Amino acid sequence: MSTHRSGDRIGEILVDAVTKRFDDVTAVDDISITIPGGEFFSMLGPSGCGKTTTLRMIAGFEAPDAGRILLQGADVTHVPPPKRNVNMVFQAYGLFPHMTVGENVAFGPKIKKWSREETRERVAEAIKTVRLDGFEDRRPGQLSGGQQQRVALARALVNRPAALLLDEPLGALDLKLRKEMQLELKDLQQRTGTTFVYVTHDQEEAMTMSDRIAVMNGGVVEQLATPKELYQRPASAFVAGFIGTSNLIELRVDRRDGGLLTMDLGEGQRILAVVPDDRVSDRATITVRPEWIKLSTGEVGDRATHVGGTVVDVVYLGSVTQLIVLLPTGERLTVHRLNDEVGGEDPRPGQQVTLHWAAEHSYVVGSEAGAAEIAGNAKAGGTAETAGATSS
Amino acid sequence: MAELQETLGIGSADDTRRARRGPRRPGGARGAFGILFAPVTLLVVLFLVPFLIMVQMSVVQFPPNTDSGYTLDHYVEVLTNPLNPSIAWTTFVIATTSMIVMLVIALPLAYFMVFKAGRWELFLLLALVLADELAPVVKVYAWQVILGRNGIINWLIPGGPVDWLLYSRFAVIVTLSTTYITYTTIPIYAAMKAIEPATFEAATDLGAGWWQQARKILIPLAAPGIFVAMILVYIPMLTDFVTSDIVGGTGSYMMGQRVRDLILGEGNWGTGSALNFLLLAMSIVLSLGAYRLARLNRIEA
Repeated sequence: MSTHRSGDRIGEILVDAVTKRFDDVTAVDDISITIPGGEFFSMLGPSGCGKTTTLRMIAGFEAPDAGRILLQGADVTHVPPPKRNVNMVFQAYGLFPHMTVGENVAFGPKIKKWSREETRERVAEAIKTVRLDGFEDRRPGQLSGGQQQRVALARALVNRPAALLLDEPLGALDLKLRKEMQLELKDLQQRTGTTFVYVTHDQEEAMTMSDRIAVMNGGVVEQLATPKELYQRPASAFVAGFIGTSNLIELRVDRRDGGLLTMDLGEGQRILAVVPDDRVSDRATITVRPEWIKLSTGEVGDRATHVGGTVVDVVYLGSVTQLIVLLPTGERLTVHRLNDEVGGEDPRPGQQVTLHWAAEHSYVVGSEAGAAEIAGNAKAGGTAETAGATSS
Repeated sequence: MAELQETLGIGSADDTRRARRGPRRPGGARGAFGILFAPVTLLVVLFLVPFLIMVQMSVVQFPPNTDSGYTLDHYVEVLTNPLNPSIAWTTFVIATTSMIVMLVIALPLAYFMVFKAGRWELFLLLALVLADELAPVVKVYAWQVILGRNGIINWLIPGGPVDWLLYSRFAVIVTLSTTYITYTTIPIYAAMKAIEPATFEAATDLGAGWWQQARKILIPLAAPGIFVAMILVYIPMLTDFVTSDIVGGTGSYMMGQRVRDLILGEGNWGTGSALNFLLLAMSIVLSLGAYRLARLNRIEA
């Protein structure tokens, strides 16, 4: 819900072919990102992927070795942090322990020498925005972690920045509080219409809040898309593995019929995948989400994968039951069965099952080039999974 | 003590209480007595007894013997002698200037050690401690060599030797400043260690320049350390006589020297003790004042 008209550049951030090296390590490698004003944008990736460095370059705490940073159309690549119209929220908060909540929030306005009335008004408004009214005279040390985080937010928001940059701001909070704050942050972003650039390594957190997410790895953006696109159409095996739980299967292309790839496994068994273009030759890596795989009972359509396997593990997770199924190809698939009926029977370990899923649900994430490396992973378990994934 | 520690930000009263609640040994009270017996005895014999003798000396009539009565003459003498105010003023000027010089050095030094030195931090800390390990008298003599008429500085500066470098207030201030720099820097360093580095980045982000950050963030947060440093350093400087003896001149005659000369030079134990007692009282008042300021600072800053 942005209050800005399209074509308006308020809150727009442009990262243009930016590279940053620390000694001989390239932290950020030729990254280009456009963030429209009013968007909740996340940079997601494992530690060392360059997400924080990119954020700090937008804030002005690091200078890029190459490329440009544009804020609302103006080149700010060599503008110091205070002169950029953005504010940052730090993981460690960086609150001023010797000042009260009110004084902390009023720090920016006082430096900027706003009038007394304006300062008082805006500080009160910012404190109200983060729901800390009544806490103005407390010291940061007297507040809980979540409240301290809100002080840091108010202290940044009071300056009415074009964009708010958040560096893993919920990292220090416990899980329950983190979930609450995620919803609150999203709500805050929508109420203020401010561009939020959010850095996190927690995929669930990024999925919960973001309009769009840049999944980063090794200093490059692997994929930049909406949470839904990332989940349904991961551009690489890395993205497939980082977002949610996913199965990786190495596909030997035995037949191809237009965009439909087929791997024959004999006795009518086959694995199918669909590709829109010619980029796949005779080998490909496909990914399929655990909940898209069904245990078949009757006839399977023409355009569906149909493969038998042995159940090796059954884990009841509440809303779903997770099965690990060993395929004849040697790969292990994670399958989620929705527990939407009380008293439903789950297969037992050792039982033979037949799996099926629509050809469209086999999403090709890599062909030949990366296949060898991915195949190694697939053989080792067949399931790429991240901490905090849906199964946990 | 726990309250003082809490006020000054060195560990909290909670820590102390938690420590006290620790596993009790059988016969805890007697155990505590056993542990405290040696230090308490030491304090009583070496500190309290001489102190009481001094207080007694300051009120015994001259010449001091068993028949002498008690009198306040010595105090009257100290307070009315026209020489004393000027000695007190000289002492105050020298100690205060040295204190300022040390703070001007210690604040940036401690900041550098904590936030900028990286792997050199430990080296600098060690250098500071080692600098203090050197016997004070050796250090004072070293300055005599450096500042003297044929010293290193006069050899280096063009335009012939300068006389005011040695046997002057300047020499005393320089020497005192180097003698006590360790005790000024370490408490400030400790206080700054507790500051989250993100605090400064946040201040930069909110538009504060380096001077505003120093004034509004660094100094208020280092204040407990600054006050500890002042208590640790200012009082010994008031009573120092070795430094001024060796590198000082006629313009740097200090209170410490006066007490020494009264007692050891003139054998005037009465007046010397009275002056010493007044110095001690002043030191206590100063400490309490600094303690108050540190407290206020925590409430208001």
